[in-house]
Amino acid sequence: MNVLHAWIEERLGLSAVTLFLEKKEVPRHKHTFLYYTGSSILLFLGIQIVTGVLLAFYYQPTLAGANASVVRIMTEMPLGWLVRSVHSWSSTFMIAIVFVHLLGIAFTKAYRKPREATWITGILLLAASLAFGFTGYLLPWDELSLAATKVGTNLPKALPVIGAWLTQVMRAGEDVTGDTLSRFFIVHVSVLPLAVLAFLGVHLFLVQRHGMSVPLEEERKGIKAPVLPFWPNFAFREAIVWLVLLGLLITIAIVAAPGIGPQADLMAPAPEGIKPEWYFLFMFQMLKLFPARVLGLNGELVAVLIMMAGMAALLLIPFIDNRPAERKGKIITGLAWAGLAYAVGMSIWSLL
Amino acid sequence: MKLPYSLFSRRAFLNSLIGGWLAALGAAFISPLVKYIVPPTREPDQVSLPLADVKDLDANAVQGFAWGNKPGLLKKTEDGAYIAFVGVCTHLDCNVSFVPAQRRFYCACHEGWYDENGLNVAGPPPAPLRRLAVSVEGDALIIKKQV
Amino acid sequence: MNGRLRTVAAVGIFLLGSFVASGILEARVQETPQASLKPAAANMPGQEAPAAPRPARERMTVYVLLAWVWLSIAVLIGLLRLRVREADRIFRMGLNRAAEHSPKGPGH
Repeated sequence: MNVLHAWIEERLGLSAVTLFLEKKEVPRHKHTFLYYTGSSILLFLGIQIVTGVLLAFYYQPTLAGANASVVRIMTEMPLGWLVRSVHSWSSTFMIAIVFVHLLGIAFTKAYRKPREATWITGILLLAASLAFGFTGYLLPWDELSLAATKVGTNLPKALPVIGAWLTQVMRAGEDVTGDTLSRFFIVHVSVLPLAVLAFLGVHLFLVQRHGMSVPLEEERKGIKAPVLPFWPNFAFREAIVWLVLLGLLITIAIVAAPGIGPQADLMAPAPEGIKPEWYFLFMFQMLKLFPARVLGLNGELVAVLIMMAGMAALLLIPFIDNRPAERKGKIITGLAWAGLAYAVGMSIWSLL
Repeated sequence: MKLPYSLFSRRAFLNSLIGGWLAALGAAFISPLVKYIVPPTREPDQVSLPLADVKDLDANAVQGFAWGNKPGLLKKTEDGAYIAFVGVCTHLDCNVSFVPAQRRFYCACHEGWYDENGLNVAGPPPAPLRRLAVSVEGDALIIKKQV
Repeated sequence: MNGRLRTVAAVGIFLLGSFVASGILEARVQETPQASLKPAAANMPGQEAPAAPRPARERMTVYVLLAWVWLSIAVLIGLLRLRVREADRIFRMGLNRAAEHSPKGPGH
């Protein structure tokens, strides 16, 4: 074993990595549990990649074959329904933990200097995760996913000048067709994974470079917070968290496996009860509630503009909240709580 | 026999226990995936062809039929009986063809030859063509795996 | 101590809850006739999405798998807690830095 270690060390010099991990410290305070969220996202991303590749072994991204191939996976392949169920539930878990991670960082204001770039790559990763969910949702090509995609790709149309063109780019034309399916497939399995790898690389590098951020109130105490070495103390704790998450995932995947609806018919009227995945529900509800005309402008346009303003604010928070410890920072925290309450409230409302 | 000191440290013991159980858990997760990776494509137990389709087959002529994912070859012998083969070369799995002029089966991949009874006569094939059992039941020809 | 007890209690309640819930769902699946076998080839448009089909033989495999998964997770968590306790003890004694202060061996 030592001979192998020496061989690798001479050629790759990986001991730099292990030494770094042993020196890396994780601060201990009442919000330390938030530090588990980042690696949990990575766990579920790994699961998505593995189950995604397995699904892609048998999935056919064509108009004629998509739904039938998913049915085949679920009925003919041994435990194919389980692979699909894990993929579907793991996406929910991953995006849920992405939100917890986002909220944790936002409320502890970990985005403050010098971590602004980490925040920006993080928001890009959030956008990529949501795009993964959106593109993946169409792939089974059943009635519900076709309807949800029609609604979702309709949204950019509200924008002036580029709106119609954007929708055409997303749909590969005026309408949702087999070309849309191919486009969404290649984005889902190739474009987005490459983008995520790129953003993740920068994000992780920055996180290691700056170290773990400590919440403002701890910083203000002046004394250095007690720490844990990352390896092995924090890492083994993280392993426990991973195991519990894995257990929850496989249990839910077995007990509540998703089904597949009838094949989408491009000519049929929209089915009842269309709704997008849960992470888009608050936007869905907002669009439903907005009046047709607001202050003389198209209602949907105003809604889309408000949503875009919200996303821009989210992206640029580190620069907006440049005085996190003072009154401005407290106001922004209050606004953030309001935003969260709004999103949760709208989501729940859309289900009623 | 009591040992004066432990053969391994507490840390090493715990690490190996953890590693072992992790491997067991990993096996539990991987085992369904291993079954998933190879789809169950079984050959059909039998195939039935309507007699009407094969009535016009001449003696010493061959007609193709589907045997699952593989090509099947139905041949009418000199005395009017039917024999059937799986038309896959026993060398490296290429599909064989029938050359009526020579009354032999030919595999183009490596120039293998089988006679009219499927016996390998020339070239690399190591074994005869696989036979299938043919029987007539009512108005259909039933082709089964030969026991 | 309180925090740890809480996590153990939460995990335990979840385990119990999931077994109960899976039992209820299992019963419901058994009620729906033939829904658990292969779905019909053609679905009338507008029909409810068929639930994931679960052939009877596979169902046993899957529940055994689930039991094994939870068993090994429980064992692993126990072992990992021992390992974490050891790592914390080492850290508190300052032994993880001990290697830096020891005198260098021959050849250095």
